[in-house]
Amino acid sequence: MDFASIVGIWTAALFTVWIYSIAFRDNLFFKFAEYTFVGAAAGHSLVYAVDNIRRYGYNPFISGAFFYIIVFALGVLLYTRYHPNLFWVSRYPLSIMVGIGIGLSMRAVITTEFIAQIQSTAAVQVLGVADPITALSNLLFIILVVTVVYYFLFTFPKAHEGGLGVIPTIARYGMMAAFSFSFANTVLSRYNMIFGRLNFLYTEWLILPYAYIALVVVLVILIYAMIPPERRPWP
Amino acid sequence: MTDQQKGFWNLLANIPREVLYGILLIVFIVPLVYPLGLPVPISSEVRRWYQTIQDLPPGSTIMIDFGYSGGGEPELGPMAVAVYHEIFKRGDLKAVAMSTSIEGPLLWEKAMAEVRPEQYGAEYGVDYIHIGYIAGTETAMAAVGKDLRATTSTDYKGTSLDQYPIMDGLVGATSFDLLICYTTGGDQSEGWVRQWFTPYGVHYLCSVLAMMVPTMLPYQNAGQIVALTSGAQAGQMESLVRVPARGIKSADVITLTHILCIIYVIIANIGYLGARFSGGK
Repeated sequence: MDFASIVGIWTAALFTVWIYSIAFRDNLFFKFAEYTFVGAAAGHSLVYAVDNIRRYGYNPFISGAFFYIIVFALGVLLYTRYHPNLFWVSRYPLSIMVGIGIGLSMRAVITTEFIAQIQSTAAVQVLGVADPITALSNLLFIILVVTVVYYFLFTFPKAHEGGLGVIPTIARYGMMAAFSFSFANTVLSRYNMIFGRLNFLYTEWLILPYAYIALVVVLVILIYAMIPPERRPWP
Repeated sequence: MTDQQKGFWNLLANIPREVLYGILLIVFIVPLVYPLGLPVPISSEVRRWYQTIQDLPPGSTIMIDFGYSGGGEPELGPMAVAVYHEIFKRGDLKAVAMSTSIEGPLLWEKAMAEVRPEQYGAEYGVDYIHIGYIAGTETAMAAVGKDLRATTSTDYKGTSLDQYPIMDGLVGATSFDLLICYTTGGDQSEGWVRQWFTPYGVHYLCSVLAMMVPTMLPYQNAGQIVALTSGAQAGQMESLVRVPARGIKSADVITLTHILCIIYVIIANIGYLGARFSGGK
């Protein structure tokens, strides 16, 4: 393994341990790792931004696509927002960007987000479905779609009172179930991420010489750093 | 009920997070060091994903978006690696990768280092390529779909695309038989539906973070996505392609940690109910 890779693994390993230490208590090493990460991410993005300007702007420009000067000018105009008197100029390039974004999305959004979704929802069947579990699931789906649409569409108080009150109640239970499904999936994602880092530590870092000793030293220092300053025997 | 009993229920409902995380860490480490080899049942989505690649006619070209960030690599990386193994195993497919995430090219290189395409005889520029990070997310998808060569003229290393045989005849979305997207962002996963599936009808396979699955499920139910998987299902894909790696390894850990999570929920609820019935808050 080359020297650069070894340095990379050690750095990544130490930062992993420091970052996850926040799960137990805030400390100086976590802060250092956090700020370094933010700085490195910003630097990385800046390098890519410059590279993008070169690839998609400067290179075509010097190849003869002189109309790119308009794009460059619009980009520069974005920075006028930092000038107290000229900040309004930045609204022009911004409005062009937003306009292009919305225009591109809108060309397919009606079909993708509305028609196809409504078609798919309307096609759900209960009768004639061979599998009873699927039939039950589809029935539940239909009930929840109707009740949730009712919940958000009819917001005036009388629509949520008396006998009708049962509809928004069902909708609320349905939405809570959906949120818990999302939350459970989030936990799954987070666990995967933790596993990824632990697997890295175990399979790539701890196989290196002195890594186990370093791990013990790092943990001892971390625990010490988690002790409030007034209760530490040393600074 | 005595104050001591109330205190016990409150303690049960409010176990310090350091203790919970400490136990969780142990449950993470034990199966990592001593794998249990728990069974990995294969879901219908993963099977459909696998079958979609299997059903591609020889010579098909796949567009692969490495649209995930470094934080999502532990989840989506193993899935991407497993799918690349299958693509290269077949030997008659071409894979063009691009990135809608800044970190994409770096993560693609990491995935390639794991796959080692040379073991299948695959050659860069002939069987696979990465055309780089293309800024703009949905704008980039639309631009690449309309005219790939006008959007970018070089690969991720800055070499002209003209030098690579794999790029011959590739014009835009209509040149591709399948689209695969690995992403940590909703803009990417939904954007591809809007910019490639709806206008061009390109078959679309999508792998997202588990937390994004509920948002993306309606697209699968509407038939806009052929198969939707979360990166957490990478172990299933590894089983199908018979290349066990990180995904399978994580299956033990994920199972045990989830059991622990359920135990935590039960303990907290027992504490809550106990405190409530004993007259506490």
